[in-house]
Amino acid sequence: MDKTVQPIISLRNVGKSFKEGQVRALQDISFDVNPGEFVSLVGPSGCGKTTLLRLINGLIAADEGEIRVQGVAPEPGPDLAMVFQSARLLPWLTVAANIEFVLKLKGLSGSERPTRARALLGAVGLRDFAEAFPHELSGGMQQRVGLARALAVEPKVLLMDEPFAALDAMTREVLRMELLQLWSRRGIAIVFVTHDIDEAVLLSQRVILLRPRPGRIDDIADVSFPEPRWQNDPRTLPAFKQMREHLWGRIHDMVRDGAELEELAGAFGGASLAS
Amino acid sequence: MSVERAERPLLRERGPKRSVSAAPALSAHVIRARRQRSLESGAVFGTQILIGLGLLAGMYALNAVGGNLLMPSPTDVVEESIQMWSDGTMLSGLGQSLTVITLGFLLSASTGIFLGVLLGGFRVLGRVLEPFVNAMNSTPGAAFIPLIIVWFGLYTEAKVVVVWNAAFFPILINTTAGIANANKELVEMARAFGARRATLFWKVMVPDALPSILSGLRIGAAICTVGTVIAELTMAQSGLGGLLAAAGNRFQMDRYFAVVIVLMALGTAITALLRFAERRLGRWRVSLANGR
Repeated sequence: MDKTVQPIISLRNVGKSFKEGQVRALQDISFDVNPGEFVSLVGPSGCGKTTLLRLINGLIAADEGEIRVQGVAPEPGPDLAMVFQSARLLPWLTVAANIEFVLKLKGLSGSERPTRARALLGAVGLRDFAEAFPHELSGGMQQRVGLARALAVEPKVLLMDEPFAALDAMTREVLRMELLQLWSRRGIAIVFVTHDIDEAVLLSQRVILLRPRPGRIDDIADVSFPEPRWQNDPRTLPAFKQMREHLWGRIHDMVRDGAELEELAGAFGGASLAS
Repeated sequence: MSVERAERPLLRERGPKRSVSAAPALSAHVIRARRQRSLESGAVFGTQILIGLGLLAGMYALNAVGGNLLMPSPTDVVEESIQMWSDGTMLSGLGQSLTVITLGFLLSASTGIFLGVLLGGFRVLGRVLEPFVNAMNSTPGAAFIPLIIVWFGLYTEAKVVVVWNAAFFPILINTTAGIANANKELVEMARAFGARRATLFWKVMVPDALPSILSGLRIGAAICTVGTVIAELTMAQSGLGGLLAAAGNRFQMDRYFAVVIVLMALGTAITALLRFAERRLGRWRVSLANGR
């Protein structure tokens, strides 16, 4: 990485506790995200991935350490857009109105909003569904709208909290490829939380592996495959297999280091742990 | 099915093709399901008719055994009904009752929703007033009638106060609960996109509470009918409640039943109307309950 590039997100020794300090969720987290970079946070349940995203978004404040987004303390707003595991669309508004809702929060004038909302729906292939209500859409389509809503505010950073975890395998695969396409076209930074190692390796340029209780960084791995990945699927490459094995190796070490086997097996699925 | 890759408009491409191929199989299935459903609703309706006829037969039997005082004959009730409708007694009674119901409902709905939104929005205020609201809500509305008579008299305005007192609290409590239990995920979403407190409240929490507010209104409206009749029975006799009392006092049971039937129809109509409104406005909630 070029050292002269100013990181867009920077965390230094960040810690966070809950229940008046009794539960330590995160400890000593430090990493940077550069503009336009795709970074994944991977780890079993209970390692504070979602908490980390909420800290970066400024929804909650850190107890220790320092978080800087574009050089200042983070604040919720249009520079940082969130995509959640469930789409979290306002069910009483149409798909287009849901996107216009966040455009209004960004401060766009009333005349610009409808055009922008439709343009973004076009970008995720849902232009024909602008007037539909969220409950009339499938889970995958709802998640597409969630993505369109996040992109609509033209964020510098996209924060994604297991956005594809609740979808069926086929939809998930399609949306991953679409995400890669959108990312390579728009050049925004993405922080992507997942507990699926294959997904992290497939999508991101850097994988940050977290270990649980308290959540801390176990390993940071750079992933480089020929781009664009949505055209050359890296899953057939030996490098992909290596990276996968390396990360699984780290997780097996975690298990040996005393983390409870059942918990990890539960979080990752027994079959993949054995492979 | 081949795994879809990269290119986007697959949704639109796949949609029509799939529906064409699936159409014949689906329609056979749909027809069977529809037949099943019509069979079931036919059975339900038939049983309802039978029960209605049974009730009528029971009334005739009781009338034959016990005489007109114990149970009027349905024929007399119908005759009396026609008489009361044609001479205007029923219409003016219904008018008086509807005036009290409507005024009481409008008053309790506006004050209940306004205060409910306030208590739901300001948590501390809600906590302060909670025991008082609960105490008032669990006191039977009729308990306040003597006080209301002393304060407001015996006529329409006092009756409206009785109705308001009965219907206000369910509406208030449902509104407050709806806002206090607003979907946390949606609130967090709006906050993540930079929504301020006022936007959060009016554009997310209040709309999210709408179905709950509507159920409060439906419950309140049903209580309004009850409150109106109680007020008309116990205060200056007027409206349908007054007709009820007058007929009962003179042991004119056919007249009495004619009024009861109108009250039944009125209550059912009001509830059906509000349930319809509730379903129209809260349609999205159904799909939420089914899990998305």
